[in-house]
Parts: sequence; C-alpha cells; structure tokens
Amino acid sequence: MPVFFYAFAAISIVGAIALVCFRNPVSSAISMVGSFVGLAALFIGLNAYFVGIIQILVYAGAIMVLFLFIIMLLDLKAPSTFKRSSPMVIVGGLIIPFTFVIQLSAVLPEVRGGNPQALPLEEAAKGFYDKDRDPDKQSEIYNSLRQKSLPDVNLVGLTLFGHKGDNASIRTPGYNFPLQITGVLLLVATVGVVALSLKKKKSKSGGSES
Amino acid sequence: MPAYWLEATVVILGLILLLMEAFGKSTSRELLRRVAIGGLAFTLVPLYFAVAPSPDNAELSRFYIYDNWAVFFKLLAIVATILVLLMAYDYRRVLNQFTEEPGTDHGTGEFYALPVFACAGMMWMASARDLVSIFVSLELVTITFYILVGYMRRQVGSLEAGVKYLILGALSTGFLVYGMAWIYGVTHTTNLAEISIAIADPDSGIAANPSPLFFGLSLMLLSLAFKIGAVPMHLWIPDVYQGAPTPITAFLSVGSKAAGFIVALRILEPFFASEITRTQTTLIVLIMAGLTLLLGNLAAIAQTNFKRLLAYSSIAHAGFILLAIAAWHPGDAGSLSTHQVVSLYLATYLVITLGAFFVLVVVRNSESSDEISAFDGLGQRNPSLAACATILLSALAGLPLTAGFIGKFFAFQLAISSASANKALWLGVGIGFIGVAASFYYYLKVVRAIYWREPANEEEVPVPQISRIVILSLTALTILFGFWPNPILWVIGG
Repeated sequence: MPVFFYAFAAISIVGAIALVCFRNPVSSAISMVGSFVGLAALFIGLNAYFVGIIQILVYAGAIMVLFLFIIMLLDLKAPSTFKRSSPMVIVGGLIIPFTFVIQLSAVLPEVRGGNPQALPLEEAAKGFYDKDRDPDKQSEIYNSLRQKSLPDVNLVGLTLFGHKGDNASIRTPGYNFPLQITGVLLLVATVGVVALSLKKKKSKSGGSES
Repeated sequence: MPAYWLEATVVILGLILLLMEAFGKSTSRELLRRVAIGGLAFTLVPLYFAVAPSPDNAELSRFYIYDNWAVFFKLLAIVATILVLLMAYDYRRVLNQFTEEPGTDHGTGEFYALPVFACAGMMWMASARDLVSIFVSLELVTITFYILVGYMRRQVGSLEAGVKYLILGALSTGFLVYGMAWIYGVTHTTNLAEISIAIADPDSGIAANPSPLFFGLSLMLLSLAFKIGAVPMHLWIPDVYQGAPTPITAFLSVGSKAAGFIVALRILEPFFASEITRTQTTLIVLIMAGLTLLLGNLAAIAQTNFKRLLAYSSIAHAGFILLAIAAWHPGDAGSLSTHQVVSLYLATYLVITLGAFFVLVVVRNSESSDEISAFDGLGQRNPSLAACATILLSALAGLPLTAGFIGKFFAFQLAISSASANKALWLGVGIGFIGVAASFYYYLKVVRAIYWREPANEEEVPVPQISRIVILSLTALTILFGFWPNPILWVIGG
C-alpha cells in the first residue's frame, strides 16, 4: 500500500479544508502552506522533482510569505460575527464543485486504463551532448540523463551548494554566500512582521499595573 | 583577518541585540542602545586591519570583492549607522508616543536592532561583485527599511510612508530582477567582471545588436534610481521622508543612498569601460542626472516642511552625483576618478545631512513640528544651535569654505573636464548651475526663518547632551573639510 501517497494526500486535503474553515486569516494562510507542502510531496512521489521543489519555493515560500506579510501588516482580524451567506454565494458554491466532479468523472476512466511509458532519457541526453568537450567531461545534466535519472532535483542542490566535477581538483562554486545573506534577510523579515503586528495585552515583566 | 568577518561581526551583534531585546528587561532600552553603538564602533577596528579574502576561495571571491571602494563604503555604512542610532536616542520621546504602550520604551527594542542588520546589508552591498549577491544584499537593506519606515504604526503618516515605500520598493525589485535576467540572457553570466569581458568580446554579437543589453541595463538603473532617489523613481521620497521616523529618514537619505551608489558604480563600470556601450550609457545617465537636478532643486523651492525640503534636497544631491557618474573618468595622476569624486561627495554629504537631521530632531523635540515655521526666531532662542544650523544649511547649498562646496566643486570639475570629449555634458553642467542657484534660495529660506522671523515664544530650545556633541562635531567637520578635505582624500587614495 502506498503509505506516503495517502499520508501526503491526507495532509494536503486536511490543509485545504482547514484553509476554508478557519476564521483567522493567519491560520488559514498557514494551513494553505501545509496543503502546498503535501501537494509538493505528492509531486515528488510522482518523480516530478522539479515541479515539487518549485511548488515549495514559489508557492509555499514566496507567495505565502508575501501573503502573510500583507495579512499581518494590514492587521486583519477574524470577523467577530458570522454572517449568513446570501443565496447567490450558496448557489455559486454548489455549481463550482459540481463542475469539477463532472470533469473528474470524464477524465478518470481514461487514466485508469493508461499504460505508463518509461521516459526516453537516453534520447534526451543526446540533446545535452557538447561536441567541444571530452566525452568524459560532459555536463552534469548529460551524465545523469545517461544514467537514466532525471537531473533536475540534483541540479538544484548542486548549483546551490557547489559540487566537484569529474576533475576532483576543480570545485564548481555554489551559491553559499548569497544563501547565507538570504538567511539574514528572512530573519529580519520575521522579526519585522512580529515587531509591526505584535500587540502586548499587558506588561508581562512588571505586572504591577494589573 | 579576512574581510568577510566584518559583516559576520555586525550580524552577530544584531543577533545579540535581538536576544537582549527578547530576554532582557523591557522597561529600558538604555543597555540595548549602548551595546548597539559600542559594538558598531568596535567594528571600525577590524575594518582597519581586514585583508581581502584569498582568491582561492571560489565560493566567496565570485561574489565578494574587497577593494578600496568596499572599505570606504563599509566605513560610510558603519559611521552612518552609529550616528543614526545616536539620533534615535534623542528621538525616543517622539518614537515612544507612537509605538506599543505609548510613553514607554517597551515597543522600541527592534528599532535599535534592525539598523544594525541594515548596516550589514549595506556592507555586503559595498562588496558585491555579482548580480546575485547585489540582489540579496540590496533586498536585505530594503526589507529592513520597510519595517523601520513604518515603525511608528500608531501614527498615520508613518504607516502611509511604510505602505508607499513597500509598494514602490517591491515594484523596483521586480524591475531589478527582470533587468538582471536580460543581462544574464545576453552575457550568460551574472558576474560583473565576466560581464565586462562578454561585452568586450567581438564574437559575442553584442556589438551588432546591443538593444537587449541596454534594455536590461535600463531596467536595473530604474531600480537603482529607487535606491539613490533619482528621477524617474523619486516619487516615494517626499512622502516617505516626511512620514518615517526622523532617524530612519536620515538613514535612508545617507546610508541607503551611499550603498545604492556603490552598487550603481559597480554595475555601470563594465558599460562605461567598453567602447561599444559607452556613448549610450553616458546618455542614459546624463538624462537621469539632468532631470533629477531640475526636479529636485525646482520642486524644493515651494516646500514649507523642513523634512520635505530635505527630501527634495536629497533628490537634488543625487543629481549632482549622477552628473559625476555621467562624466565617467577612470582617473589619472592629475585628476580624481569618478569613484573618488562620488566617494568624496557622499562623505561630505553624510556629515552635512546627518548634522541637519540632528538639528531637526532637536527642534522637533521642542516644537513638536517639522515645519520650517518651527525654526522661526531660532537665532534668539538658541544662538549656538542657530549658528550650527546656518553653517550646515549653507554647506548643503554649497557655499565655499564648507564641505558642501568641495563635493560640488569636484563633481563640476569632473563634468567640465569630460565635456571636451562629450559635448552633451555641457547641458548637464548648465542644469547643474541652475540647480545650485535654486538651492541657495530654498536653503537660505530656512536661514531667513531662523534670524529674520519673530519667534513664537521666547523659551530657549533645549539641546540634549548627545545632540549637542554630535551637532558641534559635525559642524566642525563641515568647516574643516571645507578648506582641508585631505583626510577624506587619504582614505579614497586621491
């Protein structure tokens, strides 16, 4: 039984449901991140490493951080009273899922009978062959495609942290330095969000006023 | 000691401050301020002894350069941050009104820690030699300023300034990345040294069709114009300067601008170095300089608020520096290079502008107003403060025998000496003279208020101890550099 598939599918579904159910916008945004992470894990489970990583980098990382920033900067609060939805909203809320169900029922039977084919990786490797270089000094992409593994996820790591080529004495430098500055940047952003949005209810250290 | 430890030291100092803020007593920020200022002052010692990291360290040397300019702009960043933190000390009464638990120091801990991180970012900017490291360090500075500008969130003006800065900052970040993508697409590298080689390479095809390269450069210049406060990205400056807490306004106007200029110099250097791109690059920068000079100086005439006046003055000064950049000159035995003129200008500008902002903080504390009318009759109410303010304002205008004159003099000299090769520069010089003439009017308008207007009341304007010392020493430096700029020239090797 594909345990991981069900686990991550559950995470992304729970996150999605929590996104809709939470009243507090910050909680909603955080559960959306959870849902995205589950989705990214599903992509990685399907061997789509690159899509998975981009899912985390772009959606969970950039967009959600921006989202949180805006929510916290604008100081949104959970609505205090629950308003009854108008009939139009309910109708709209019914039509959209119904359309999706129709689409799914049309698509799913086709997929079930599908016969997955192996990707022609060796064929793809030929596209990365560099005539000007020695055959044993080809690029990482070429080498990994030759070995029938998709290079994308490795490449992200290799580019970011640097790697030794075939010639062990020369090390291709990575992006450690900008990465560390980015770390400081994220720290500052976190501190800033807290500094701008935190409200102390009472003096916590003295406590003499109460 | 390798140079990269400098930034590490500053970041560690910032982390210590954050921990002190989180776990220390929140009733007083006294210790926090002292550690921040003392720690930064201590960093000046290793700055003197630091050596460039070994070129074998490819991970670092690809992104990080440690030359004369890196040292100089790191020095500027540290000095500016120290002075801004000192200013924040005397500004705390105003700051405390508009933060959490008004009237106490409670909500202001981060206000003293975040400038230290901005300082680290500016130091990284001074050393950046790759588009990637330029981008991340520039973003570190910008994001820190998003927070600091909007720090007094109980005051509508500060909040408005924060939102405006955030939106335009994000927009200019977009331009920067897009421009970098184009440059990378054309030259296949993000390293500025390699970009220089790629532009000069006759096989690269850039000479045949340089348009994509210029498109990328223009986008990046737009974003840098946001940092240095030049037309066409100047729109945020008056409102943000007026709304932000005054120490942060000073920090934006000095630190952030200086860091923007070193990055602009580093990015423009390959484009000025190559024959293929020099003419157009000169034209682009010259147009920016001319418009900036005109707009900054002419719009300043109508201002009635001193902070807004300083905002337009900051735009105008960016124009003068851009004029020096447009007159690109690599430097020889007889004359200063563009790098040296820009550094000299920024050093004098730092001294004068921070002095003017200190005066503003003192007056703001006493009168609760940033308007020029708050200066009415300052000559009777506190003669020594009025004298210092007069000297600083005339230095901003560029009166001879003040530091402001030296900066403008070298900028004009460079432009005129390069004008023989490129006639268009005469236009820039002409606009520059119009700007100087206008600037005398609006700076001396404040001097008129100080001496020739009746004061609203007769009480003496109190000057806190720190402000007194800093204003006196900055005024003294303004006069000293006015006829003896050699200390700055020694540092920049002129």
